[in-house]
Amino acid sequence: MKNNNKQSSQKPLTVNQRRWRKFKTLRRGYYSLIIISICYLISFFLPLLINNRALIVHYNGETYFPAFRDLMDVPGLKLLTSPPFISGVSLGQLGNEGECNYRQLQEQYEQDAASDNYVIMPLYPYGPLEDITAGNPAFAAPLEEKEGAAGRIFGTDDRGRDIFARMLYGFQVSITFGLILTILQYLIGVPIGAAMGYWGGKFDMFLQRFMEIWSTLPVLFLIIILVALLNPKSTIFQFTMLLILSAIFAWLGPASQMRAQFYRERARDYVAAAISIGVPTHKILFKHILPNSLVPIVTSLPFAVVSGITSLLSLDFLGFGLMPPTPSWGQMVSVGLANLTNGYWWLILVPLSAMFLTLIAVVFIGEAIREAFDPKVFSRLR
Amino acid sequence: MFQYFLRRLLLTIPTFFGCTLVVFTIVQLAPGGPIEQKMMQIRAAGQESGAGSATANQTIPQSAIDELKRQYHFDKPWYERYVIWLGLYPGEVESFKFKLGETRLIGGGRSVIVQKSNNGYQVVDASNPSIVLEGWEFEDAKSDAGEPLVRIVRKEVSGIFTMDFGTSYKFKKPVIELVADRLPISMQFGLIGFILSYSVCLYLGILKAINHNSTFDFISSTLIFIAYSVPGWAFGAVLLVFFASQSGFQIFPLGGFQSDDYFDLTLWEQIGDRAWHFVLPTIAYTMAGFASLTMLMKNSLLETLSQDYVRTAFAKGIRENRVIWLHAMRNSIIPIAAHIGYIIGIFLGGSYLIETAFNIEGIGKLSFEALLSRDYPILFSFTVISVVITLLAQIISDLAIALVDPRIRFK
Repeated sequence: MKNNNKQSSQKPLTVNQRRWRKFKTLRRGYYSLIIISICYLISFFLPLLINNRALIVHYNGETYFPAFRDLMDVPGLKLLTSPPFISGVSLGQLGNEGECNYRQLQEQYEQDAASDNYVIMPLYPYGPLEDITAGNPAFAAPLEEKEGAAGRIFGTDDRGRDIFARMLYGFQVSITFGLILTILQYLIGVPIGAAMGYWGGKFDMFLQRFMEIWSTLPVLFLIIILVALLNPKSTIFQFTMLLILSAIFAWLGPASQMRAQFYRERARDYVAAAISIGVPTHKILFKHILPNSLVPIVTSLPFAVVSGITSLLSLDFLGFGLMPPTPSWGQMVSVGLANLTNGYWWLILVPLSAMFLTLIAVVFIGEAIREAFDPKVFSRLR
Repeated sequence: MFQYFLRRLLLTIPTFFGCTLVVFTIVQLAPGGPIEQKMMQIRAAGQESGAGSATANQTIPQSAIDELKRQYHFDKPWYERYVIWLGLYPGEVESFKFKLGETRLIGGGRSVIVQKSNNGYQVVDASNPSIVLEGWEFEDAKSDAGEPLVRIVRKEVSGIFTMDFGTSYKFKKPVIELVADRLPISMQFGLIGFILSYSVCLYLGILKAINHNSTFDFISSTLIFIAYSVPGWAFGAVLLVFFASQSGFQIFPLGGFQSDDYFDLTLWEQIGDRAWHFVLPTIAYTMAGFASLTMLMKNSLLETLSQDYVRTAFAKGIRENRVIWLHAMRNSIIPIAAHIGYIIGIFLGGSYLIETAFNIEGIGKLSFEALLSRDYPILFSFTVISVVITLLAQIISDLAIALVDPRIRFK
């Protein structure tokens, strides 16, 4: 750190270094960035922390790692393709041909003190997809919990799935969707907008007409129609399809931003100078103009993530988002609204607070980035 | 000014065609259309009546399928269907197959006979053969058994442009009636939300700009971040939990836009009832455009306040209120005016989410349910309505800018 300071006193800071320094001073955004990044990283290891599958099972001299199998799943789409499971019979759970119930197995091994079998469960031993209430005497029915079903945080939803586990798993799906969608929409929008601004003319006019039509369409509604009509059968396909469909409509924002930027920059002297000394066009576009046009793009990135997450949640809420039983906050809220009259307030408030905290953290990051990149000092004299 | 708007209006025409064409094509290309639905109905009915007879997978005769295709114009290419749907090109409304000389009932309870005339065929009234019915076209056809028949066809120019939105498959009612029933409900929420958000946001934005970097600015900014990051329907769900459900205070109703006994109430009670139902949804609606509008107002005014002419005004000793409201506001309001179209769009776009959350029988919920039951006429009408409203909103936006910005007015 000291060394760094010394260097900076000798050499002037680059503009990006200055921006990063400024960003670090904006506590709200800086800490939000740290927290969100850590949470997102941890979320990839969620199957080891929150899972109904055991971390380690030691049975008759052999060791199994059931929870680690979940890690192999596609990131962000966990639980979508259920990995092959270890049956209860093979671990000494008599009469259970299906997936082993590790919580019961743990009790079973503990009672049998003679053997050296043991089960190590994750920190929170309930999964987001399992029906806890099935065959469990602590529950009268889904949603209804009797005394003594301890160790769980927020109760169950209408299908007996654990709300807390679903809430945490929903985080990863949402952030992944938001991030990929943002990248996609910029990948489409930036080149198109840049070309429109740089070349202008008929090409620009034609595309502008097209964009006007595109932006007038009722987007969410069309996505719902398309989802309903394409009727995807696998979850990964559905996830990809939602991403592509959303990106098809979302690229307009970055495109028009870029168009305005390139249009403005193209008229500058440095571009004319570059053209006159014969710099090839692709170099002018990427080396000269693009770096000068990036500020609005960077500052709008976090807000694009927010709107991506929001649109996925809205689709989930309406029932046209990710395929059940993928854990998703929007779906959880819609279950909550359906059960509103019964007083199960946690069904709504738990996913909504998770959603709220996540989105507000991203918004804070966005605000801080905007301030770091675009420090407007308003001088007011009176 | 006039020219500017004429050009603006003319530009909306290609946009309208483009939008409707996109939606029309997407929906038409998709499987599960009206014909498949009708065929499923026929199959289901056939299975019910013919239970026991070994016709589990009954086939519908090709002629019946062709007849269905005709009825929904699916015998024509998609572009022809599009212009028929728009009401720019005559489309088939009725068609009947006749044997020559046979007496049959057609629409409107008229029984008619098809005769040979000197130039082809003619349709005459059965009770009085001297009356020739006009407006029918004739085609040669064959019956299932191969007998020669005459098909009489009546075509009509009827579509979106003639205000014929079709008949809902599910409700068996003209879509325009359904929409006319429900659009006012959605409009009430949208309008109240729009007016509220403009009056609150503008004032809040001004206050924030004047008190930039104060405690008030900081606290209200936090509130605005909350409003920005939570979508309206989610906010509505929270409101429902706290103010309508058993877990919170049961002050407001759980949904709907009026009580069941609404029509038995006196006028004042009716107004009170409506207002009581409107509180929570309206708050949810208002949240939709709240954050962006407030920040726009604040930033725009802040920027104007740092201009030299404002400094001059202060230096001349003009009172602060006068400088802000007369000198600075005039310029700060321009981006706000440009924002009107966007806000109107938001109120329309969010309507089905909020109407679903609050269980309000508005146009958004209607079209959302139409989507679930593949009720195409309603779907198309909703897209047309939303496209038209968005286009109108853009024009209103331009008008508003022209009103507040003399530079545009006189260009």
